[in-house]
Amino acid sequence: MIGIYLCDDDEAVRHQIQTALEWKIFLENYDMKVMCSAANARELLDVVESSKRGIYFLDVELKDSEWDGFRLGQELRRRDPHCTLVYITSYGDLAWRTFQYHLEAFDYIVKEPEQIGPSVSQCLEEIYARLLAERQDPAEMFTLRTGEIVRHVPLGDIFLFETSPTPHHLLLHTSNSRIDFLGSLNELEMQLGDRFIRIHRAYLVAADKIKAVDLKHNKLWAGDYECLISRAGKAELRKKMGGSR
Amino acid sequence: MPPLFLSPLIAVLISYGLHAVLDFRILQYFISSFFILAMCTLWVMWAWQMDFWRSFSAVCMAGILQVATSALAQLIFLMFPTDLGVNIAAMVISLFFSAVVAILLSMSCFGSWFRLLLEDQVNLYRITVLLFVLEVSMEVFFLLQRGVQGQYLVAYYILIVVLVIVISGLIVYLAHRFDDSRMLQAQQDIIAQQQFYERHLEDIRQEVRSFRHDYKNLLAGLFQQAGEGKLDALQSTLAELGADFDRHLGEKIQMSVQIGNLQIPQVRSLLLSKLADFGKKDVEWHLEVLYPVKAVGMNMWDFVRCLGILMDNAEEAALETERPWVEIVLLAQSGRLFLQVSNPYISVLDPEKMWNESWSTKGAGRGLGLPGYRHILEGYPNASSYTSWENGVFVQELVVED
Repeated sequence: MIGIYLCDDDEAVRHQIQTALEWKIFLENYDMKVMCSAANARELLDVVESSKRGIYFLDVELKDSEWDGFRLGQELRRRDPHCTLVYITSYGDLAWRTFQYHLEAFDYIVKEPEQIGPSVSQCLEEIYARLLAERQDPAEMFTLRTGEIVRHVPLGDIFLFETSPTPHHLLLHTSNSRIDFLGSLNELEMQLGDRFIRIHRAYLVAADKIKAVDLKHNKLWAGDYECLISRAGKAELRKKMGGSR
Repeated sequence: MPPLFLSPLIAVLISYGLHAVLDFRILQYFISSFFILAMCTLWVMWAWQMDFWRSFSAVCMAGILQVATSALAQLIFLMFPTDLGVNIAAMVISLFFSAVVAILLSMSCFGSWFRLLLEDQVNLYRITVLLFVLEVSMEVFFLLQRGVQGQYLVAYYILIVVLVIVISGLIVYLAHRFDDSRMLQAQQDIIAQQQFYERHLEDIRQEVRSFRHDYKNLLAGLFQQAGEGKLDALQSTLAELGADFDRHLGEKIQMSVQIGNLQIPQVRSLLLSKLADFGKKDVEWHLEVLYPVKAVGMNMWDFVRCLGILMDNAEEAALETERPWVEIVLLAQSGRLFLQVSNPYISVLDPEKMWNESWSTKGAGRGLGLPGYRHILEGYPNASSYTSWENGVFVQELVVED
């Protein structure tokens, strides 16, 4: 049973949305229920303790000095990390990229009188499809935090970790990204186990991404990235590769 | 660093060594001068953390001034011959005149003009060469004192001092010119931004006028429809009113709000001038600044330079595509600031090369490029960067903690 929560200071809008939702739920027989229709942020937050994958329809322009749409979304994301956030806006132009990226907001709906019903319906359908897809086993992820943003990188995509010129920072390389974050190679080595080999004080390389090794010149290629091998690194390589290379 | 401390010893040893080995006094003088210049340059690089060219320029200037000091000392010797051991007297008088010259220089703010001149990145090499040539010339000129006949010596020394004063004047003049051109450039930037902003406001003004006109007509129609009881027509007209507003005015007002949230003058300046540039080159842009940006946890100019580099790169890559666009998102939260710049790209990206290309490929006025960006960030452990390139979209992110 997935809970749906509404928060908008306009009662007419809440009523419209709730009606549309309940109709859609009934029609498609979703395992969802509208739990709360709050007029302000505080009312909503009182009800939500730590929900499981709730769906939240939030007004972007909440007239509350402490909670605006974005901050409310942040707080909900904190309490219910896997929730779905949908924003309701009267103008159709919100800072959408900011919401999408920093809150992982799912979608937004414009408060046009004719449009609300169908938009909400369509939105719920898409949410349902996504929830179904999520049920399957997610790929193994490497998680790193940069401030409030938590990034998940599929472990299978990572080529290597290396030390960054900035003190206490590391660089993570995949085939299409380069991430600089706070971390220590020693900790990562322990955390990640056998899939990664510490070939040098400054390099932690994915075992399955090693393309070529040049032992004479102490070099190794993980994908297109060239790395150095230290003496201890060579021993690690031999141990983990089982002498087959 | 330890070798640096030993270097005076090395320099002395080298001079004595040369003394013993070479007979050519002039050659010996040149070689030991060269070593002293090199040694002083290294000291300056270490003490003031400056790069090689600037340190060398400073040392050459110091050398020129030192020639004047020596000339003054020699002049005093001539005019008031003394019985004290020549070397001791020489040291004392040289020190005295060095102090006098130093005080004169600081009183006339020569130092700040000189430092200003060294900020001219474009002409730095030329200035260094000029100073080096002047230094060598003055030293040689001073050496020639051995050839001057007794009664002309006073005039000769005075000439040297005058020459050095003229050279200092030249340096200050060059610094003035550089300062003026910088101010001019800054003013032109401000003008460009103001024009951009003005055009933006003018657009809004035009829209408001035409909207007011349409609005009145629409309202008249609505009044009539309501009177005739045509509810459906009424509803659709009302909907159209809302959509129209958003399409024209709404978006523009929204953009003013976003720009208005940039409360750091330098950041706002840079962004406005880059956006103006985008407009000129037909690059679509999208700016989001949800919360007011008031401060950044790093040196303001470093941040502005990073922002500039990212936007320049985004523009360059986007222009290669059919429909160029650049998206800039700034989010200020308590404790940190997020910056995200995205653009489409078509060429194949080589990650290693992208970050390691030499600085000069971008050209003199163009900026430092991505390697420069990385270099700036190396000095900030509280800043993290994220780069990704997939599905034809290149994204650069920067997070700076307070």
